[in-house]
Amino acid sequence: MLEIDGLIARAGGFRLEGVSLLVGEGECHAVLGPSGSGKSTLLHAVLGTLEVAAGRVRLANEDITTLPVERRRLGYVPQQLGLFPHLSVRDNVLYSARARRVPEPEYRPLLDRLVEITGIGALLDRSIATLSGGERQRVALVRALAANPRLVLLDEPFTALNESLRRELWWLVKDLQRERGLTVMLVTHDLTEAFFLADDITVLIEGRQEQSGDKRTIFRHPASFAVARFLGLKNLFPATITACAEGRIIADCPSLGVTFRLSGEAPAGTPILVGLRPEDVALRDAEHPPREGERVVSGKARIIDLGAEAVMHLETTPGGPVVELTAGWRTLHRFRLEDGQAGVTVALPETEMFWVKAS
Amino acid sequence: MRGCCAKGLRASIVAALMVLALYVGLIVSLFWFLDPATLKQTLLSERTVFSVKLSLMAATLATVLALLLAIPAAYALSRYRFPGREAAETVLEFPIIVSPAALGAIILIFFNNPLGAWIQENIVYFVFGFAGIVLAQFVTVLGLAVRMLKAAFDEVPVELETVARTLGASPRHGFFTVTLPLAKSGLIAAFILTWAKALGEFGATLMVAGSMAMRTETLPIAIFMKLSSADIEGTVALILVLVTIGLTALFTARRILGRAVHA
Repeated sequence: MLEIDGLIARAGGFRLEGVSLLVGEGECHAVLGPSGSGKSTLLHAVLGTLEVAAGRVRLANEDITTLPVERRRLGYVPQQLGLFPHLSVRDNVLYSARARRVPEPEYRPLLDRLVEITGIGALLDRSIATLSGGERQRVALVRALAANPRLVLLDEPFTALNESLRRELWWLVKDLQRERGLTVMLVTHDLTEAFFLADDITVLIEGRQEQSGDKRTIFRHPASFAVARFLGLKNLFPATITACAEGRIIADCPSLGVTFRLSGEAPAGTPILVGLRPEDVALRDAEHPPREGERVVSGKARIIDLGAEAVMHLETTPGGPVVELTAGWRTLHRFRLEDGQAGVTVALPETEMFWVKAS
Repeated sequence: MRGCCAKGLRASIVAALMVLALYVGLIVSLFWFLDPATLKQTLLSERTVFSVKLSLMAATLATVLALLLAIPAAYALSRYRFPGREAAETVLEFPIIVSPAALGAIILIFFNNPLGAWIQENIVYFVFGFAGIVLAQFVTVLGLAVRMLKAAFDEVPVELETVARTLGASPRHGFFTVTLPLAKSGLIAAFILTWAKALGEFGATLMVAGSMAMRTETLPIAIFMKLSSADIEGTVALILVLVTIGLTALFTARRILGRAVHA
């Protein structure tokens, strides 16, 4: 288990502010954030290559804050993979055992199993220069895991690969994690990668820990405008809290002409943004009337063909706010919708909505 | 546009061939004064054999000593930020901006200071001796060696050392198993070019060690002495010896580096 408690670190002029997070045994925790958010600073503080200004880092109940890198027993796969080009694949994956002088009977069973799972057996006598991108990723993973690490740190190792190969390797990492019970900290700016691999997520923005928690909570209820914007949420509308009582707020959204009743607490008069994911917006008509707890808005539909699915932009008023909806073609056909059609109605279910304070 | 590029390309090739022609022309011009009998006599003379041996020994020792100091220094300059780093990097240019003769004079003056005199009396006597030749060459080539090695270490990504350490390697183990093998080409190039520069060193050597026949007469000093006594044929013979040794070293370096790159 990895525990980071109130960690402050500086790298050049950049400062990472008091990060605290917990990665449970056998879990994968993704640290998400845009470039310059402090992901790498956090990773290097955990690695031990960056001095920590304040706070503690504990691994398996051992305080490793000031422990030298080589004694932390970490597996590290950097973005450029860090394979040693002057060594063969075999020498790369045996590097840790040789550096630590581990006797062969001790490392051999784990190494053989890793080679078998990742399918790199035929590559062992090859030089690194002759490997394809996917093969290199596998070798880097085997090398990191062959050291039997207490924590695996992955620093955007799949960024350079094409989509299908990335997904194949995501499954490989997931399988390895489950089989070996690996505790993993993944650093990435890729939302899909984070949601695919991680159980929990921490979002860093400009050196601040904006939100930590299980991925579904972060996905559905971003804690701030910065997180919502980083997650790429489209439907964000300005509103003002008009009342608050018993854990619920009433928010007036004049641009949509709707009043919402949502969970949460904040004083009346607080300016907020109410939001809803495009996939949670539902089409409504006479045959499919609004349900309880849904607020409806109408306007002109603009349909964008994305191949397998379509995106609909509902223009509530000319030049006014646009509600985005993601739907399959079958749904659009069922509602007999066409591009440019006016008088289209959509429902905004309050149970799926979130709100954040306007920044 | 294409015609313009083609003209530019032709002009640059002509410039490269002119550089070659300049140096080859200078070497070929030596043959105007080459007398086979004098060449044979000079090559086989005890004094020339002594000069060649002295030059080879002093240049090799100066290079080895320079690299022993240059490798850790270059690594520190490449990897760490520390007080005085900028100043240390600037001082590397010192032997280039100060002429070798001035550098030799500085060394000579140092040995006339109380500290220098104490070193000469209690540790090694440098002035007008073999140790002086090695020291003069060492001081002249050290900056070059550090600069070349720093460039070689800069080429090795720090990330590889970090990965080695996460795999359980101590910084020392990581240096010897990852950094040094990957900087191998640069290390060989630094050794050979440093050695070649030490072999041809004249000004500082003359100042510190003087020009005593069969004692401190390195090949460049022997050339100077032959020319001073108006022995042009003898001078040409010695120049050809020095050029042959130097070019052989450079061709060897290129072959080794070529092999290392393609390995």
